[in-house]
Amino acid sequence: MRRVGYVLTAAWQGFWRNPVMSIAATLTVSLMLLLFAFFIVTDRGLQAAVGALESKVELVLYLDDGAKPSDVLALKARIEQDPAVSRVDYVTKQQALDRLRELAQRKEDFTVADLGSNPLPNSLEIKLANAQDTDRLATSLKEELGHGVVTDVIDNPTVVEKLLTITRVLSIGGVAVLAMMLFVALFVIVNTIRIAVHARRDEIEIMQLVGATDWFVSWPFIFEGMLVGTLGALVALAVLAAASRPVTSALVGFLDILPVSLGPNFVLELGLGVLAFALLVGGFGASFSVRSQLAKGARA
Amino acid sequence: MIRLEDVSKRYPNGTAALQDVDLTIEHGDFAFLVGSSGAGKSTLIRLLIREELPTTGRVLVDGKDVVRLRRSQIPNLRRTVGVVFQDFKLLPTKTVAENVGFALLVTGHDGRTVREETDRVLALVGLTHRRGHFPRELSGGEQQRVAIARALVNGPRVLIADEPTGNLDPVTSWEIIKLLTRVQELGTTLVMATHNAEIVNALRRRVIHLDHGAVVRDEREGSYAA
Repeated sequence: MRRVGYVLTAAWQGFWRNPVMSIAATLTVSLMLLLFAFFIVTDRGLQAAVGALESKVELVLYLDDGAKPSDVLALKARIEQDPAVSRVDYVTKQQALDRLRELAQRKEDFTVADLGSNPLPNSLEIKLANAQDTDRLATSLKEELGHGVVTDVIDNPTVVEKLLTITRVLSIGGVAVLAMMLFVALFVIVNTIRIAVHARRDEIEIMQLVGATDWFVSWPFIFEGMLVGTLGALVALAVLAAASRPVTSALVGFLDILPVSLGPNFVLELGLGVLAFALLVGGFGASFSVRSQLAKGARA
Repeated sequence: MIRLEDVSKRYPNGTAALQDVDLTIEHGDFAFLVGSSGAGKSTLIRLLIREELPTTGRVLVDGKDVVRLRRSQIPNLRRTVGVVFQDFKLLPTKTVAENVGFALLVTGHDGRTVREETDRVLALVGLTHRRGHFPRELSGGEQQRVAIARALVNGPRVLIADEPTGNLDPVTSWEIIKLLTRVQELGTTLVMATHNAEIVNALRRRVIHLDHGAVVRDEREGSYAA
């Protein structure tokens, strides 16, 4: 217990011995963690958006009014056997028209004139389990054209493809930015602790001379690094907490109608992730910089 | 017991600090290391506490080959070998008692032991009344006595003093020497590097004379100069 107390006290004193440097290091860590958090939130949001869009992806087959019901059912059964297909719905002309009317009621600038006959065809709506298979399925379904059942194949996967590209670019770019920030944060922490170590090199030398173990000498510095990390994480989390509402609503607004949900535990996970990351960076950076000084006192 | 067998030390810049040194200092002995600056006294001391490794040869302290110690065993060596320096090496931000207790604290002793042992060695060096003072409030001789107390608090088998009187006036130097002599008489092996001819000549103890890294004279009851 005494040792733990000693280590914590020494770490706290070490932090305040050079406050400008310590605070600069803390803010650098905060900045890095904010970018880290921003990247994760964006990535999660986009993934949720892609997931939502993917579940909406469908191919629609317009059917000839004169097609025999048995042919239509046979076609439906065949499509359902494809592993990429999650379900196939038969939508009658009447259902399609009802849907259109319902939609029109909700939009002011859109009215459906009273038509004498229903111009909409019967159709098969195919929901896909995996958006990436859209192209293949659409191509194979186009072979049905001209056999008296299918009159048109409607596919429009471009939105999904664009979103997938965006997430891929963001993932790679985000990792690159993160790696750079990680490097900067490590560099700043290593330097801060190095200065602290240098300022206390006499003390370290004396500790080693009277028989202190390397760990006993190192722990205060490692805790000091973790303190920098933790304070940086707290600043970052405070900023995140203040900014989360406007950012979330902006994100939801941007993605508009999509039911984007980041999950109930997301905030907790993000907070813990940020904190753990900060502790690792701080502790690792500090142990790195204290090691070189330790090596001077005892040739191994 | 301290034994050096065929020890040579050559620094990376080419300086040969020690050459073929063979030396045995029995347990409880008192030995002076003399010789001009650069003769190898400090290098020899650094080998004993494993601050440096010899280029060749074996260094045995208290029966252990310090050259072969693993890094994790070095702290244990340092607890059996107390060291006193010319410049005292006290921590300016800690009190006398804290400076002494520090040596016990870093080796993981509990608070009660730290207090008791600190009081014991402070009484031995006659500084009980100064326990709450900071090093800058003490005279040079008092600071050196604090350093000796710190070297003794772990109960070392060997005490090494590297020019312990180098920064002190003659009267204070004698006080320190008397203290060190008493420590040796209580059973600790004492090795002292010094330039103080008066003290060496007065005490008539073993004298090991180094010159250009080699032992050129080793007398049981020697004097400073041949």
